[in-house]
Amino acid sequence: MTLTRRKFLALTAGGAAAASGLTGCGSRSSLGAPDELSLWAWTGSVNDDLVAQAAQGIPGAPGKKISLTRIGGDYKTKLLTSLAGKSLVPDIVGLNDDVATYFPNADQFLDLHELGADKFKGDFLEWKWKLGITPENRMMAYPMDTGPTALFYRRDVFEKAGLPTEPADVAAAAPEWDDFIALGKKLKQAVPGSAITDNITSLYQYALAQLPKRYMTPDGAYIGDGDHIKQAWDLAVRVVKEGLSANAQDGSTDANAVVTNGRLVAFVGAVWWAQLGPKNAAPKTKGLWRVTPAPGGPGNRGGSFLAITKYCKDPEAAFAFITWLESAKNQAQSFLDPVLFPSTPASYDDPRMTGPDPFFGGQRIVDVFADSAKKYPGTYFSPYDSIIGDPIKAELVNIEIGSKTSEQAWRDAQKLVDRELTRVGAI
Amino acid sequence: MAVSDALRPTATVSTTQDTDPSKRPNRFRQALPQYAAVSPFFVLFAIFGAFPVFFSIWLSFHSWDGIGQMTWVGLEQYSYLLTDPTFWKSITNTLIIWVISTVPMLLLALIIANALHNATRFRSFYRIAYFIPNITSVVAVTMVFGSIFSNNFGLLNAFMTSVGLDKIEWLSQPWGIKVAIATIVAWRWTGYNAIIFLAGLQAISSDIYEAAKVDGASPRQQFWQITVPLLRPVILFTTVTSTIGGLQIFTESQVLFGSSGAIGGPGDGGLTIVSYLYDNAFGSNQFGYGAAIGWALFVLIVLFSIINWRLIGGSDDERLTKRAARRVQRKIAAEQTAAGTAGKESTDAH
Repeated sequence: MTLTRRKFLALTAGGAAAASGLTGCGSRSSLGAPDELSLWAWTGSVNDDLVAQAAQGIPGAPGKKISLTRIGGDYKTKLLTSLAGKSLVPDIVGLNDDVATYFPNADQFLDLHELGADKFKGDFLEWKWKLGITPENRMMAYPMDTGPTALFYRRDVFEKAGLPTEPADVAAAAPEWDDFIALGKKLKQAVPGSAITDNITSLYQYALAQLPKRYMTPDGAYIGDGDHIKQAWDLAVRVVKEGLSANAQDGSTDANAVVTNGRLVAFVGAVWWAQLGPKNAAPKTKGLWRVTPAPGGPGNRGGSFLAITKYCKDPEAAFAFITWLESAKNQAQSFLDPVLFPSTPASYDDPRMTGPDPFFGGQRIVDVFADSAKKYPGTYFSPYDSIIGDPIKAELVNIEIGSKTSEQAWRDAQKLVDRELTRVGAI
Repeated sequence: MAVSDALRPTATVSTTQDTDPSKRPNRFRQALPQYAAVSPFFVLFAIFGAFPVFFSIWLSFHSWDGIGQMTWVGLEQYSYLLTDPTFWKSITNTLIIWVISTVPMLLLALIIANALHNATRFRSFYRIAYFIPNITSVVAVTMVFGSIFSNNFGLLNAFMTSVGLDKIEWLSQPWGIKVAIATIVAWRWTGYNAIIFLAGLQAISSDIYEAAKVDGASPRQQFWQITVPLLRPVILFTTVTSTIGGLQIFTESQVLFGSSGAIGGPGDGGLTIVSYLYDNAFGSNQFGYGAAIGWALFVLIVLFSIINWRLIGGSDDERLTKRAARRVQRKIAAEQTAAGTAGKESTDAH
């Protein structure tokens, strides 16, 4: 009796020890088998065929394979959790356009300069390349796709309103935001209910996306209360006051509905909106949409990156993979599926991209976006841009729903930003 | 009693053994298999329950972005919390949503339970029908309600325009958002509470009702004079659970507005305490602040549970008798100590 009990206890203790050994307390390892490099990305961020190819063997790194995990839900939270755990961290991770929020923790990722990234610098859009480099000149992230902006419009509605209908003529008629608003008023007269933005924050963000400056300078000074921000703010407020916003807030079912039922007849949007907006929400409008350079000039909103964590088993192989995946040829393939707009100008002439798009009446829309991407001046994103941007956007919404005046909302937004930045010790 | 009598001889034997120091460890070892058998729960609880709770206290005294170093900031998170207008707004929002969901919900549940209790046909069908909303996914429910309430093309607005009323921008106005969220909560939980009430109703003896009927009580009088008072413990249960649930509302605003960047929706009208916590911890990586909000929420829930319990739990008479009993006990204890220590009477006078 005593013997079996002792045996039982020994077994239990042994089992517990084995279990704790398996979880590898304190070991600093990356995820996956020794010859396998683990890649974390969210749904729709990489081309399936290319990854399947690398899962057989990474081109340029013999004997190594890629193992992709698609992270659903809250990607960033899961990535932070894994980095905080310091164990079983993926080798390669996708980072979204909030890449700068990782800058204070850039030591968690390898400096790609050291892996020889500069060799590929010439292949990429210069501004996109810079976005992955910290102010301390550490290259933390490697460019994936971009989000150049342009003006989407409904040709049929423009025709009904007696406005220019061909892309070149529309662009000529609305080179600046002022002209665009005037155009919007005519549209609204001809077709009541017409809107040129889904909501106030969309317009603000797309106006901001055209500017060479955002909320902070690279040396950490806050400029979010500057004239350039105030002008984008005032522009957005003006569009709402003219009744040209559909007041369909982001993420609501209305945001899709205004596209589906044809209220949104013109919209300055990023290239990915083509898919998310009209193609998904209003498939019946096939052939009616056109794209032309946006009023106010070229811009960029969105676009992601790849980074190699410091836990990576084989940095050379990981680097070989990301440079292969993001080569001009493969980025052109990623444009076909899942519609990632390349950051490599050489892709823009790839025959797979330049074909006419029947949804846009056979227009070669890639040309418009490629032009926007090449002419965009670039900007600096600070680690605190989302902390600053959120209160500003929230206060803009307060104007649109009529609960605050523009002056009051601006004051409140600045006060909130000041409080938040003081707390995180940014100013 | 018989069992304890039978065990008595063995117990005496073991006490005599206990006096022998060499035998002592044996008793613990004898109990070890039992401890080992119940340990999985405690081990899991320690890892996934107790550790996060205590770690969050520790965390709330730090500033931490999730990856880098944790820096000790003392009580700064809490002092920031107390002066944070958004935090207070989230409390007000939560309380408003809680009141406008819970009060109609419990009244409706009581009425439904009463109707179900008196129903003669299809009883199981009705019970299941009322319970189904509760087991439906809250995310799916919220998305459906999001479409019903949506500003431009919502079903509700379509209905309102068809009967000649003006459209209301439910999901843009702070109070409209609250009504929408409260409706979702009420829709999901009314049936659940009705079933709980029904169980309470069935426990009330029909003799009482028959006696009341003989005395000429109207159904209305029966309801307010018999049903409600006898249901008191059940009402307390539903109120406390709805309070705890109501103070933790999160999914509704997350699903309605989570993808818009501002988790509280326009004007932060739907910003609840938990959604503010989530937004701080997981949206802007302020884990220390998130933990501090969590503890503020804890204090709030304790506070409201006490209030509820005081308001509904136990009758005044019961509480008075308990208090009287305690007073008597204290008196006896005081007398005993006074008798024991004759010289310290001055201290006992307190």
